[in-house]
Amino acid sequence: MTIGALRANLRWEALRWLRSQRLFLLTIPVVAGPIGSALAFLYFHVPDRSTALILGIFVTGGLSAIVVLDLASLMVGEDLSRRANLFHFTLPEPRWTILGGRFVLVLGAGLGAYAAGAALVWGLASLLVPSPSGASPPLLDPLHLAEGVAALLLFLGAATVTASILTRSASEALVAGVLSAVVVAAATGYLLLQGQLTMVLPLVLLLSALVAVGWSLVAYGRLES
Amino acid sequence: MVHTGEGPAPRADGDDPVVLSLRSVSKRYGDVVALRGISLTLRRGEAVGYLGPNGAGKTTTLKILAGLARPDSGEVSVAGVRHDGSHRARDSLGVLVETPGVLPYMRGTDLLSHVAEVRGLRVAERAAAVRQAADRLGVGDVLSRPLGKLSTGQLRRVQLAATLVGAPDILLLDEPTLGLDPAARVDLRALLRQLRNEGHTLFLTTHLVEDVQEVCDRVLFLREGRLVGDEAIRRDGRASDGHRTLVVRTLETVDLARVSGALPSGTTVLRRSDHEVAVTFEGDEGEQRRVLGALVTAGVGVVEATADRPDLAARYMALVGREEVP
Repeated sequence: MTIGALRANLRWEALRWLRSQRLFLLTIPVVAGPIGSALAFLYFHVPDRSTALILGIFVTGGLSAIVVLDLASLMVGEDLSRRANLFHFTLPEPRWTILGGRFVLVLGAGLGAYAAGAALVWGLASLLVPSPSGASPPLLDPLHLAEGVAALLLFLGAATVTASILTRSASEALVAGVLSAVVVAAATGYLLLQGQLTMVLPLVLLLSALVAVGWSLVAYGRLES
Repeated sequence: MVHTGEGPAPRADGDDPVVLSLRSVSKRYGDVVALRGISLTLRRGEAVGYLGPNGAGKTTTLKILAGLARPDSGEVSVAGVRHDGSHRARDSLGVLVETPGVLPYMRGTDLLSHVAEVRGLRVAERAAAVRQAADRLGVGDVLSRPLGKLSTGQLRRVQLAATLVGAPDILLLDEPTLGLDPAARVDLRALLRQLRNEGHTLFLTTHLVEDVQEVCDRVLFLREGRLVGDEAIRRDGRASDGHRTLVVRTLETVDLARVSGALPSGTTVLRRSDHEVAVTFEGDEGEQRRVLGALVTAGVGVVEATADRPDLAARYMALVGREEVP
C-alpha cells in the first residue's frame, strides 16, 4: 500500500509536469548547459581543460538549480496555494507518501538532468579545449566541484520544499530558494577566497537537506486544510 | 466498537451498525469556537443531512471526519477505527470538500485514475472503475479536457466522480450540489438517493433544505457549533418530531417581540409576510387551541389559522434561523 501510494504520487507528479509542459524544463541543463559552455570555451579562449570544466559545471549547475527550484516550489506550493491538497489529503494514503513520491521525482529528475548536462560538458571540454602541459593548477578540482553542485541541488530542493510548506505559496518558496542559493554562493566565495573551501561545505549542505526533508515530512503530515 | 488502529482496518460493512461517530468534539480556530462538544453517530446505510447557516461549523465537522482537521478535544471514529488522522480510517471514506482547488491543466481522467491507483485497485480494474464513476455522473465526455476549461457544474461532477471511484462505503459530501444548474441538481439528488439505496452511508453538509428533503433519512441542525436538532425525515419532506405549525393570516403586521411574550414557552414565531406568521410549537390539539387563544388575547387580528406539521424549512428557521423567539 505504501509503495503503491509512493508510486502513484511519483506518477502524479510526472503527469503534472507533462500536462503543465514543465517536463521540458529538464532539457535546459542537458541542452543549454553544454551548448552555452561550449560557446563560452570558444569565445573566451579558455586556456586549459580544468578551467573549462569548472566553467561548464558552473553553467550547467546554475541552470539545474533554477529547474530544481522551480519544480520543488511548485510541487507543494502550487497545491497549497490553490487548495488542491484537499483532494489528496482525503485519499487513503499516508501524507508522507504524497510528499515523498513527488520529492523523489523532483530531485531524481533534477539531479539526472544535471548529471547528463555535466557529462556532456565533460565530453565537450575534452573535445574543444586542449590540456597543455605546464598549465597553472585549477582553482578547484572539477570533480569535487561537480559533487559539490549535486549537494547544492539537494539542499536547494529541500530548502524550497520546506519554504513552500511554511509559506503555502510557490512564489514565496521560490524566492526563499533563491535566497538560500545566494547565501550558499556567498559562503562558497568567502571560503574560496580564504583558501578554506573543502568538501565539508557540501557535507554540511547534505546534512541540512536531510534535516529540512525530515522537518518537511513531519510538518506536511500535520498540515490542517 | 472503536478500533484502536492496530491490525487491519475493519470495513464499514462489519457487524457494527455505527459507521461514523463524533463524541464531545470541540474545535477552535484562534478566538473563534467552531464546534462546541458535538456528538453524533451515523449508522450503516443511513443518509444524514447536516443543516446549518454559514459559519455554523458544518465544514469543520466534515473536515474532522475526513481527517483534514484535528479536534481540540473529543473522539472521532470512522468505520470502527479511531480516527487519529491516520490514512487507514479513510479506507472506507469518499470525501468531497466544498472548495477543493484544482490544477487547471490536469484532466478529469488524471484525477479519477489517481484515486483508483491510490485506493489500490489493480491496473486491469482501474479503467473500469474510472468509467463506471464517470458514467454515473455523466462526465465521460469531459474527462479528457483540462479541468480549467470545465464549467463549474462540470467540474463539480468530475470531483464527485472522483469521490465515487473505488465505491467507498461512506460518502462525506460538503455542499454536493454547489454550482450545479437545476437539472443537474435533480440528477445528482437522484444519484445520491440511488447510492443510499445501494447501502452507502451518506453524510451531507448543506444549506439547501431541498437536498436534505429529497435525499436524507435524518437531519441534524447545527447552530453556532452546537447540535440543536436531530430529526427523522419523512419521505414527504417533513420533520416528524411532533412539532406543529399554525400558519396565521392577520389583519395587521404582527409585532413579533410583543406577541412572543404572550405565547407559551417553547413556541416560536416566524414572519412569512406582512400579514402572515408561522407559529411553531410542540403539543397536541389542546396546545394548539391555547396558542391560538394566546394570539387573540395578545390583540392579534386573526383572519385565518391553518394547522399543519412544520416543513423542514420552517424547522430550520425555528432551530437555527435568526427570527426565532427564544
